[in-house]
Amino acid sequence: MKYFSKIHNVLKRELRQMFCRPLYLFASIGVMALSTFFFLTLMSKGAAQQMPVAVVDHDQTSISRRLTHELAATQAADVMLITSSFSEAREAMQQGQVYGIIVIPEKFYADLVAMHRPQLDFYVTNAYTVGGNTAYKQLLTMVNLTSGAFQREVLRKKGMPDYVIMNRIQPVSIDAHMIGNPWSNYSIYLTSVILPGILGLIVLMLTIFAIGYELKTQTSREWLDAAGGNYTAAMIGKLIPYTILFVVLGIGCSLILFQFAGFPVKGSLPRLMGAMVLFVMAMESMGIFLIGCLPTLRDAISIGALYGMLGFSLSGFTYPVMNMLPAVQALSYLVPLRHYYLIYVNEALMGAPVQNSLVPAASLCAFMFLAMTTGMRLRGALIHQNYPLK
Amino acid sequence: MKLTRFLYRQWLKVQEVWRVYTGELRRIFTDPGVAVIFFLATLAYPFIYKAIYWREQIEDIPVAVVDLSRSPESRDFLHKWGAAPDVKLAYNCTSMAEAERLLRDQKVHGIIYFPSDYAAQLANPVGKAHISLYCDMSSFLYMKGLYLSCNQVMLEKMQNVQIDRYEQMGMDKEMAWVLVQDAPYSETALFNPVGGYGSFLIPAVLMLILHQTLLFGICMLGGTAREENRQLFRIEGRPRSYSVVRIIGGRSAAYFTVYYALACILALLLPRLFGLPHVGNPFDIMRFMVPYLLSTIFFSMCVSIFVRNRESGMVLFISSSLIFLFMAGISWPKELMPGSWVMLSHAIPYTWGAHGFIHINTMGASLWTTREEYKVLWILTAVYFAAACLLLFITGYIHEREHERSFHERLNRKITEIKHKIVHENAV
Repeated sequence: MKYFSKIHNVLKRELRQMFCRPLYLFASIGVMALSTFFFLTLMSKGAAQQMPVAVVDHDQTSISRRLTHELAATQAADVMLITSSFSEAREAMQQGQVYGIIVIPEKFYADLVAMHRPQLDFYVTNAYTVGGNTAYKQLLTMVNLTSGAFQREVLRKKGMPDYVIMNRIQPVSIDAHMIGNPWSNYSIYLTSVILPGILGLIVLMLTIFAIGYELKTQTSREWLDAAGGNYTAAMIGKLIPYTILFVVLGIGCSLILFQFAGFPVKGSLPRLMGAMVLFVMAMESMGIFLIGCLPTLRDAISIGALYGMLGFSLSGFTYPVMNMLPAVQALSYLVPLRHYYLIYVNEALMGAPVQNSLVPAASLCAFMFLAMTTGMRLRGALIHQNYPLK
Repeated sequence: MKLTRFLYRQWLKVQEVWRVYTGELRRIFTDPGVAVIFFLATLAYPFIYKAIYWREQIEDIPVAVVDLSRSPESRDFLHKWGAAPDVKLAYNCTSMAEAERLLRDQKVHGIIYFPSDYAAQLANPVGKAHISLYCDMSSFLYMKGLYLSCNQVMLEKMQNVQIDRYEQMGMDKEMAWVLVQDAPYSETALFNPVGGYGSFLIPAVLMLILHQTLLFGICMLGGTAREENRQLFRIEGRPRSYSVVRIIGGRSAAYFTVYYALACILALLLPRLFGLPHVGNPFDIMRFMVPYLLSTIFFSMCVSIFVRNRESGMVLFISSSLIFLFMAGISWPKELMPGSWVMLSHAIPYTWGAHGFIHINTMGASLWTTREEYKVLWILTAVYFAAACLLLFITGYIHEREHERSFHERLNRKITEIKHKIVHENAV
């Protein structure tokens, strides 16, 4: 039997299995479509805005009420609760209804008139970071806007022109430039890495499952026989349909993110897609490596799930790798998603020259050799079927 | 007499549930795959996450400085900013191009730029000085750390400049302060004083671990029973309608026993061991865990009915961990999510469990303050219990009908065979 006809035999057998069990297509195409839809719609608002806050008014005078209304009118935050009791506001915060509290002290009016500069107090919750931080920024803006308004009125009465007043009120300003994501859009930041991560997880699990299932149902000898006993041909024939499926999903995912959803790419989209293909193949190789190390479907799947889920944290796109402990930093290089993420930053956010991406791309290629290291062990398991089935 | 017979019948029922309960416990402890998920994953994951998020705050984000003004004012600004724990002024660049190259090579994660007229603008009584801050957006934590600390220094600087200018106009200092800031403010961060990332995320992850290991473990047990063709819906020698509730009751009691112990470790011991916020009343937490675990168990049992194989549940639902985490509105606030996802998230026990746990454990709410989550979890428990019973009943019905049909088919085949035989023999 020629080499190609061996591969062809296995391929035919594999395609039959793939379409007979709904699991393969559902767990890949179905889950990917659902996740893409979920993450793109979930954060469709993009930037955090208008978090609910509470105002505690201990003063209860006309000026404190006016201040409350002015705060509400700045539209920086959504004033959800106006109360005179702090414990009520705190309870609302403990119930997750408000993310910030602003307290107007007693005798606020009297102190203000007497120019004693009464102090306002802010409380923000740090139990939810995005909510709490946004509420904090909004409370700051609200108060600065209102005190700016007071200053402007005084200066206007003195007959100053408006542009002078503006420079008076804010003599120093920061122009913040958010590189690659000028709107500080949370969706662009998270979705561009989470979706490839989910795809990688699917690739890992399905590769383990496709090979492990043969061991579990003791059909591995049939599989090898279809390839005329040639291990490499059997592997290639089995992986061709999955690789095509995963690569198509990966490219589809990139197209949806960077073309359809319009996420910006400063560098080249084809290079980013190339990185995606390398990433998918690295995850596939990792799957073969795991089932080769642990030739029992149950163990390989459990360890694969454990490893795959950690990839999201270890890739460092939420919590930077530079801040992790040195030992954990070393571990992060064992995760293909980390290398994909580095290429993504170079290509999409920075528009860096291609040589910056060479090292992570080479690392992704290096993962592909992992599959070969457990080849002998896996081949033995396929022939002897000497591992527990359940 | 009647009473004793009644009591005896009740005793028999309890015995049946007890047998299901002990049988399920035996399966949990003897099945290595389930033991890995229930015990190893549940206990190992929290430690791994703690190791990853060991340092709570992002420290020393490297920044490139491009100071074209080279003035005492800009140096003063940099001196103050460099003292912030978030920031490390790592490089002094002579041009923007040089700094941009450093950023592109990820040597720095931010650039601060002072134009050459910075000092002159400050000295000019009607001038306005600009500072440019470039943030690496590859992680929002870089942006947050750099922007907030820079803003802080800028506000302080700005007030000083304002006061100086009013004093130059001949105003006295006190009056100037009133004009610049009629009402100063002080800020207090509650519940997670250092603003640590781990203190925020790990409590939510602890609840997710309980939820997902239960889901995967129960799916694995259900799939195994299906593979072995064991009947999960019938107690030997009892009608189906009779056995369903007892089976669900007995099995869920077994999971609850194991998970209540695990929840004690995860919800009470680990926050103290890891130095995470833990201001809640332990008894409130343990009472809250009861409906959380029960609703999760019945939810997982409903899902597991659709799982055919031992491992396919994990292959199918592995991504659900991320979806549940985000749908619950932990990292992306629920106020900003589309309404339909919020509605859907209400059907998942994790949403209520995570918020309830954070409210009690991290924010020190009482069970009474968390009554909404507590109540909804009990409602979910009832709904998923009923759904699990119903689904089990239906699968049992389908299974038995198929069984019956195949039995009848076999019987009919046998009859026709015999008929043929008789006809054949007669003919002979």
